[in-house]
Amino acid sequence: MLMESQVNTIKAPSRLRRILIGRRPAFTLVRVVVFVATVFILVKFVVLPIRITGPSMLPNYKEGRINFISRLAYKWHEPQRGDVVGIRFAGTTVMLMKRVVALPGETVEFRDGKLLINDTVLDEPYVKLPCNWSSESRTLGPDEYFVVGDNRSMRLEDHYFGAAKRDRIVGKVLL
Amino acid sequence: MKIVWRLVALAVLATVAFWLYTIFFPSPEKLIRRRLTQVEELASFEKGEGLIPRALSLQKLGECFAPEVEIVLDWREGEHVVAGRQEILERAAAVRQAFQALKVEFLDKTVSLAADGESADVALTARVRVPGDKDFFVQEMKFSLKKIDGEWLVIRVETIKTLSRVMPAGSRNGLNHNLMQVPVLR
Repeated sequence: MLMESQVNTIKAPSRLRRILIGRRPAFTLVRVVVFVATVFILVKFVVLPIRITGPSMLPNYKEGRINFISRLAYKWHEPQRGDVVGIRFAGTTVMLMKRVVALPGETVEFRDGKLLINDTVLDEPYVKLPCNWSSESRTLGPDEYFVVGDNRSMRLEDHYFGAAKRDRIVGKVLL
Repeated sequence: MKIVWRLVALAVLATVAFWLYTIFFPSPEKLIRRRLTQVEELASFEKGEGLIPRALSLQKLGECFAPEVEIVLDWREGEHVVAGRQEILERAAAVRQAFQALKVEFLDKTVSLAADGESADVALTARVRVPGDKDFFVQEMKFSLKKIDGEWLVIRVETIKTLSRVMPAGSRNGLNHNLMQVPVLR
């Protein structure tokens, strides 16, 4: 009899409470801490979430889209031709998104809308819009990568591109 | 147990004392960051700003700069130099005439203090936008500050080239380019 009444007084946790903090709050707290730490480490050292603004990578990367930068992509090898990369300004809050088209030591030039690397036309299937750019040639330094957007239908003067030092390349755009 | 409580109380007390110390005796870096925040706020303005608040803002903005300040803007169309506090104020007033509202932000500030503790360089990204407009202007910059009569004042501002190229002149730097912003986490 006594036993029965004691059992009756123990209330089962409410449904809302069970959903919010689970049956064992201590474990839920540990799970939350582990989750927050994992997200922090991921964002700080592995992938950086980004939102794209501006027309220079059209039509391949549309304005307003969310994407990710892999910070580990260039830990074990250097940027490759064709990679789309994030280039930092003073920090990584705002970055440039560009494609690597020329590697250190190469000579790069636009001639009648074609991109020439070491005087050879580069095949660029990602450039889908018409281009009529012409520019002076430039030889890159030992730690410089030439980066440019995919949208070459913009006026050359309005398109920000050029040589980026290796330490400015934050990582590779994933999607 | 008593000892544990005493140690905890001591730790809390030490933390509060340290916090109060930083409030009353801020480090040079904190003062420099505060100065740049002040420049950000005073350079920004909202729609319908009255004449008196505008004049006060401009006066306070001028006080953030040393009298012999120099601003060197190296755009692709050439180099522009704004020299002296008065010229800065004239330019700032002209910007307020040209736009109804403007939001200036200094992002990713890195402060490098000189060994003597009397001057410092700050690398940052300036983002300027017209409220309501989806486009914005971004420029990497270097601010040099000096401690003059106990105040950290801006003595030089210069633009930094994020990408370098040898190309035809006449383009606008930093506008209409594919930019990426970290949406939430920064």
